[in-house]
Amino acid sequence: MADLEIRDLTVEVDGAEILRGVTLDLEKGKTIALMGPNGSGKSTLAYAIAGHPAYDVTGGTITWQGTDLIDLTPDERARLGVFLAMQYPVEVPGVSLTNFLRTAVNAVSGEDVPVREFMSRLRTEMQELGVDESFLQRSVNEGFSGGEKKRFEILQAALLRPQLAVLDETDSGLDVDALKIVAEGVNRLRGPELGVLIITHYTRILRYITPDEVHVMSAGRIIASGGPELADELEERGYEDLKAAAIG
Amino acid sequence: MNLDALTEDELTRRSDAAGEPSWLRDRRLAAFKRTLDQAWPDSRKDEFWRSTPFDRRFSIDREVVDGGADASPPATLLDGLDLEAAQARVVDGAVTEVSVPTDLAEQGLVVSDLASAARDHAEVVRRALGTLTTSDPDGTGAGEDRTVAVNDAAWTDGVFVHVPAELEVATPIGVHVHVTEPGAHLPRILVVVERHARATIYLEHTSVDGIDALVDEVVEVIAHDGAEVQLATLQSWADEVQHLSLQKVQAHRDATVRTLSVTTGGATVRLRPECDLVGPGAEVRPLGVYFADDGQWFDLQPYVRHLAPHASSDVLFKGALQGRSQTVFRGNVFVHRDAVGTATDENNKSLILTEGAHADSTPFLEIECADITAGHGSATGQIDARHLFYLQSRGIPREEALRLIVYGFFREVLTELDLPGLEDAALAAIEGRIEAADLSSFQVNDAALRDLAEEVEA
Repeated sequence: MADLEIRDLTVEVDGAEILRGVTLDLEKGKTIALMGPNGSGKSTLAYAIAGHPAYDVTGGTITWQGTDLIDLTPDERARLGVFLAMQYPVEVPGVSLTNFLRTAVNAVSGEDVPVREFMSRLRTEMQELGVDESFLQRSVNEGFSGGEKKRFEILQAALLRPQLAVLDETDSGLDVDALKIVAEGVNRLRGPELGVLIITHYTRILRYITPDEVHVMSAGRIIASGGPELADELEERGYEDLKAAAIG
Repeated sequence: MNLDALTEDELTRRSDAAGEPSWLRDRRLAAFKRTLDQAWPDSRKDEFWRSTPFDRRFSIDREVVDGGADASPPATLLDGLDLEAAQARVVDGAVTEVSVPTDLAEQGLVVSDLASAARDHAEVVRRALGTLTTSDPDGTGAGEDRTVAVNDAAWTDGVFVHVPAELEVATPIGVHVHVTEPGAHLPRILVVVERHARATIYLEHTSVDGIDALVDEVVEVIAHDGAEVQLATLQSWADEVQHLSLQKVQAHRDATVRTLSVTTGGATVRLRPECDLVGPGAEVRPLGVYFADDGQWFDLQPYVRHLAPHASSDVLFKGALQGRSQTVFRGNVFVHRDAVGTATDENNKSLILTEGAHADSTPFLEIECADITAGHGSATGQIDARHLFYLQSRGIPREEALRLIVYGFFREVLTELDLPGLEDAALAAIEGRIEAADLSSFQVNDAALRDLAEEVEA
């Protein structure tokens, strides 16, 4: 049994069916890439795993290490080791970044990490990701550029030490330098205790993070699966060609 | 002496008994004469009273409380900090305690009861007292209603603070008004900060529980040329207290004024944080936070008058409501025709936490001058489900996440002033209210979640 098992998952948003039966496995220690054009349902899958309230699971299962996630709240899932790096992290006005991170680390680790230990960990991770110390004075995501928000998502993953990291278009909107920093950050987190699901529209990030498997989604279903070479194929032929092949 | 039936004889007798100078007695009597022609506010007729029914929320048939308390008042915010600070305390209408650290006293800082100040610092007190209310026939307070005129006539005791020119007082100066007796309380506070001096005032209001009292208060603050003044007021009353408070600042040339009112207690609190910008280049930042719980009614009426050119003002008030509570924000900014180069902004935000709470908000501008920049805004909403999801997705339980979001809403205001202990005290007061609430009944606005579900549209 895989650590993450998604079976015949169907998901609706506002009454519209977005996922039409998705089945996917992910083992800890592995990295898989989920690719697909806009509107194919990739982000919907990410939100469904994290437990976003606007996404209604109408059928199928999401099982994480034997636990059915579907009836759990987002915070319960996070405390089981599930992490979603969001495509559009929201600004939370007035909530201090330091206080937020410490509250989250304590909640996920289930222990009261001493302030000094926490701050030294935080400073180390910030340095690794090239995040300036002045960010400590800010509110969560407030006034962050797109690239800063993405870096901050990875910073959170580094502090929370999840066992499943879903990266929803973490590469979008990043220039090459920022992409490299973020990819290095992800690579540092990879190891036998972490499963990574990279959701992306482009193959670019996969030059820096090599996946074990690549799956392609279209219209709410997975239409192709393969090794890293599938990404190269997509790069050459594009989604339309692949879609046609899947239908034909 | 009943608040609704003041008499000339009684006011004269009291003034003489306190050994007040004749000019002060005359001012009291002049104010008393005004009250004879004044009715109490009528919420059906008076524009500024329209949103709060005076006769239902305030009872004026009360005896004026004039000292005699023997209760030991609670510790103040400043008591809890390791600071050498000047403090004064008014309990049940009488000053019971004044302390000024020796070094500040040597540098000329005066903190005193108002009756002695009228004798010992007659010149300053005479020039200032009542000039922002009814004692100056040409002033902006000349037309004040009876709630203010009765304080001008019958204030019992109060606190005088004088900061001499160029003295920078690093630690906040505490003024504590505490109520233990039922009845009408008429405290009076006068603060004069001379040119290029700096001072911060903490004005704390507390009471014993279950007390049926009306506090009709007037605070006057004069910030002379280049002075820097911060005035933080905490309305931390027990749930039964009725509070009327005019907290008025006059800012002269290049003075910088910041005010913050924190209102969490009281049955009905009608707060008027006002500022007259009378000198060019003066600057005021009136801030307010309030948290109204079941049964509470808060009426916040900040008023800024731009009476000189090139002055600026930026009003920001934020309130949260839960239970069957009511808040009113009626902000006013007046720009005189000569106040060219004025820059002003005025904003109010309300967070409705549970069903049944009601927030009224009217930011108002009255502009006689074309050459200015002015803005105003008002927003009322609920906790944003996107914020809640984001925090929860990081493992933070729902209730803790809600609390963080509410604190965050207020921190945006509180962090504007870097004053010792104040942010913690304000958040603690708010926390007390949240703790008593049922967080599971907090309403969350999930309309914005649709933005995230954009794949639907693609």
